[in-house]
Amino acid sequence: MFWRILKKDLKRKKTMNVIILLFVIICSTFASASINNIVAVTNGVDHFYEISNVPDIEVNMKEDSEAYNRIAAEPSVTEIKKLDFLMIMSSKSFSLHGEKLDTFINPACLMSDEDMIMNFFDEDNKKITEVEKGKFYSTTVFLDGLDIKKGDEVTIKVENTEITLEYAGYFKGAMLPTSMGSSPYLLINREDYRYLDASPDMHIYDDVVSTDIFFIRTDDLSAVMDILDDYSDVSTYTTEEAKTMYLLDMVTAYILMIVSILLMITAFVVLRFTTGFTISEEFREIGVMKAVGITNPSIRRLYIVKYFAIAIAGAIIGFLISIPLANYMLKTISMNLVLEGGDTTYIGFISTVLVVAIIMLFCYNSTSKIKKLSPIDAVRNGQTGERFKKKSVMHLSRSRGSSTGFLAMNDVASAPKRYIMITVIIALGMLMTSIMASWSRTLRDDKLHPLFSIVESDATMMDTETMGDVIIEDDGYITVLDDIEQLLADNGMPARVAVTMTNSTDATYEGEHLNVLAEFQEGHFDNTFSYDEGTAPSKPDEIAVTSSVMKMLDVDIGDTLSIKLGDEYRSFIITGKYSSFVSPGVRFCDHYDLTDFPKNGCMGIQVKFTDDLTQKQLSDNIEKLKDLFDTNKIYSTSEFISMNTGIGETLESLRVLTLILTVMVTAMVVVLMERSFISREKSEIALMKAVGISNFSIIAQHTIRFVITAVAASFLSFLAVKPLSEFGMNLVCSMIGDVSSVECTYNPFEIYLLQPAILIAATIISAFLTATYTRTIKASDTASIE
Amino acid sequence: MNTVLQTKGLCKTYIVNKRQNNVLKNVDLTIYEGEMVAIMGPSGSGKSTLLYCASGMDKVTAGEVIFDGKNISKLRNKAMSRVRLDDMGFIFQQMYMMKNLSILDNIILPAVKSKKNKESRKASAERGRALMKRLGIDDVSTNDINEVSGGQLQRACICRSMINSPKIIFADEPTGSLNRSSSDEVMTELLSLNNDGTTIMCVTHDPKVAAKCSRVLYLVDGNIVGQKELGHFNGGEKETRDRERQLTNWLMEQGW
Repeated sequence: MFWRILKKDLKRKKTMNVIILLFVIICSTFASASINNIVAVTNGVDHFYEISNVPDIEVNMKEDSEAYNRIAAEPSVTEIKKLDFLMIMSSKSFSLHGEKLDTFINPACLMSDEDMIMNFFDEDNKKITEVEKGKFYSTTVFLDGLDIKKGDEVTIKVENTEITLEYAGYFKGAMLPTSMGSSPYLLINREDYRYLDASPDMHIYDDVVSTDIFFIRTDDLSAVMDILDDYSDVSTYTTEEAKTMYLLDMVTAYILMIVSILLMITAFVVLRFTTGFTISEEFREIGVMKAVGITNPSIRRLYIVKYFAIAIAGAIIGFLISIPLANYMLKTISMNLVLEGGDTTYIGFISTVLVVAIIMLFCYNSTSKIKKLSPIDAVRNGQTGERFKKKSVMHLSRSRGSSTGFLAMNDVASAPKRYIMITVIIALGMLMTSIMASWSRTLRDDKLHPLFSIVESDATMMDTETMGDVIIEDDGYITVLDDIEQLLADNGMPARVAVTMTNSTDATYEGEHLNVLAEFQEGHFDNTFSYDEGTAPSKPDEIAVTSSVMKMLDVDIGDTLSIKLGDEYRSFIITGKYSSFVSPGVRFCDHYDLTDFPKNGCMGIQVKFTDDLTQKQLSDNIEKLKDLFDTNKIYSTSEFISMNTGIGETLESLRVLTLILTVMVTAMVVVLMERSFISREKSEIALMKAVGISNFSIIAQHTIRFVITAVAASFLSFLAVKPLSEFGMNLVCSMIGDVSSVECTYNPFEIYLLQPAILIAATIISAFLTATYTRTIKASDTASIE
Repeated sequence: MNTVLQTKGLCKTYIVNKRQNNVLKNVDLTIYEGEMVAIMGPSGSGKSTLLYCASGMDKVTAGEVIFDGKNISKLRNKAMSRVRLDDMGFIFQQMYMMKNLSILDNIILPAVKSKKNKESRKASAERGRALMKRLGIDDVSTNDINEVSGGQLQRACICRSMINSPKIIFADEPTGSLNRSSSDEVMTELLSLNNDGTTIMCVTHDPKVAAKCSRVLYLVDGNIVGQKELGHFNGGEKETRDRERQLTNWLMEQGW
């Protein structure tokens, strides 16, 4: 009997069934692929760290320091290995096919294959025991923007020292950075390493690195941590912390999982509607079944059979589609870690089964309306006569304007619950795309420059050689900045040049110590930084701090903080609190004299053209700068922000994906709902035709109903987009740095016009096309409608 | 008398499960202005189909339908809708109305949609109220359709059919789902409309309803097999009884 009912039902409501099937397919594809990816990566990272024989902790400290000596004396410590590497500041020291590289920004690190700190693996996941002389492996960071294949020769030339090595492929190293923009690591043969190490040219920048990197194995990690806690100038990186760097690789998977959950919620609402309609349409059959004594659960089972069949079919198709999608998602990450050999497809299968179970639960819940129908419904046309609600809320006789518009508006007002649900679904989609648009724009907006502690500018030079010159000279930065200004003026680009330099140092207050990032704005600039509380530091003995400094050292505005600069501690009065990703941070007054102590970093060199330039002229100037300094690493401020936030581009791609999905889901919901409405209103449509109302008028009425919901959804989304975008943005930013009260950037054209227009157009087109189905209802159908 | 509606060789065929079912077979029919014609016949004889084909609600398979001097059987959907809206009125057994509109709004909807009168919505409402008053249901104008009795609802349907002053009203079993007293009320109103000059074509099973019509056609298997001229009904119990007896005898001759 079940099979007969199923066959009949599947044939009767083809469009509705196809749309529900599509929902299940998308849900199970995304759920399966995303969960598979998350589980595979999470397990893969554990497996990778295990086979890599990763030490327990990475510690940055000086070799001859007290901290080092105490760690060396700690009984639980079984091994301390120092990471020896040669630092090459600029990518331009590398040449491929005779062309200097202008790719990576952070210095490259060359490691020897002798006495490796942990196990490294090649592209085929084989452990690297040694590197052939004259060859090298690199981490994937080195490959970014580079067209290189195995066998290609790369020449490294630093001052007068030169070596040519053959590329042997990329290698995978646990705890080595993988995010683009970080330092690339190269693994070379011990003899080649010794050759380079012997040259003084390779040690020019040794002083910039103020600490050494140690990898420690211990039986008691907490004992080691207890010791290191006493030293604020020591930074640590545990194995567990290192594993979190793969989280970024799972961002897409997590977002897909959220989309899948949202789709399931939408599917639930849609299912509830369609089952509700089906049940109310079939009041007579249900009433008769009840009259002859069939129980509620038995009747509910009859209806669930159909959805079970659709869920199974959709889940199988979704699962099959998810396999290549999951493999694609794992492709990039598998370049950075050795995944477990085992097949994780079963995870996807379990997720698919879960999707089916959840959908069936929804369906069972949706059929609860059956309980409310009684045998009397069979004889009273679905009306028990016990209660009714007034339906007509508007009056045609008192209205103005088009009668079709009135009828559409009256339909919406007469069944608010039904249309509010559709409005909420469309609004959620619209909101999701608008929030993503706002976030992706904010994370690429140059107004975020204070959060990266750089002054307002038109361009930022990230050329490693120039930055190196600024950092290594005691007072050289002033000369370098002046020289750049002169060079720019000579080349018809008058500009002011500034730099923000950083120094990792110790801050102390009433016996409490904290390692802080001190920042100094130098050069020529207009300081436009704003402060969350208090005022900007304006004297040499004043500073501003970020919120975590205030919290961790329990200080406030007006307190005096001691900060180690060079070899001595100096006292500073806190005048203000600021937001920054450079945290825990301390900001000194403008043009603080840095001559006496070392700096160990800078946030690029900022250029502000003094002429009033158009966007085109600005772009041309940036191109001219690239030629002048022979580097591609000159960015507009928004490019710099985008590069530093890292996720802006990913969000933009996901926004496009979400927009496409939202358009699809909106279209499917509209088609499904409109088909349900048509089948429910068949008698009214036939009546309208009988009294002479034209097809076009009926189609227009049905379409306008959805236009009203889409427009209402747009308004709802307009109202919510700003508070929700800023709430989410501030939540995420506060987790990354000491950042609060970020104001999101909106492109009004995109958020208030383009995206709503796309969704309203999708709504109108799908509603209109579906409403043309009313043409199949004839005036004479009034005779055959019950 | 002027001809309002004429069918010539009207055929209607349905194909169900690849089997041809000829519901109407060469039906020739003429209805004159001011007439009230009843169509009777056993179930499945094609009464309703004839009404729907003659009113342009259903497409004919062959033959012609001439309404007000124009062949409407070849009209496109839009033009046919316009004819139905402006010049025809409809009353159904099931008292169909728009659930989301009040009784008055249901009545004036065809007037609002029609370009025939070119009047304001307020004027349409006034005419609607006047019709309701005439049929004795003006006190339910703002009510929902589920707040009134069957008789009131059917009278509201008559008002709706009258709102555009049609040349003809098609009524399909207008008293079919009403009790006797409501049925009598509705028939009184239809007769009153007919007395005012409105032509009515009515499908019915009920000899009491048909007896009040001026002419009765008897349909069997898609053919008109007989017709009975009863003349104008003037009212009164005796005339009613005489016409009913006369009709019943005739129907029995037809095999009723």
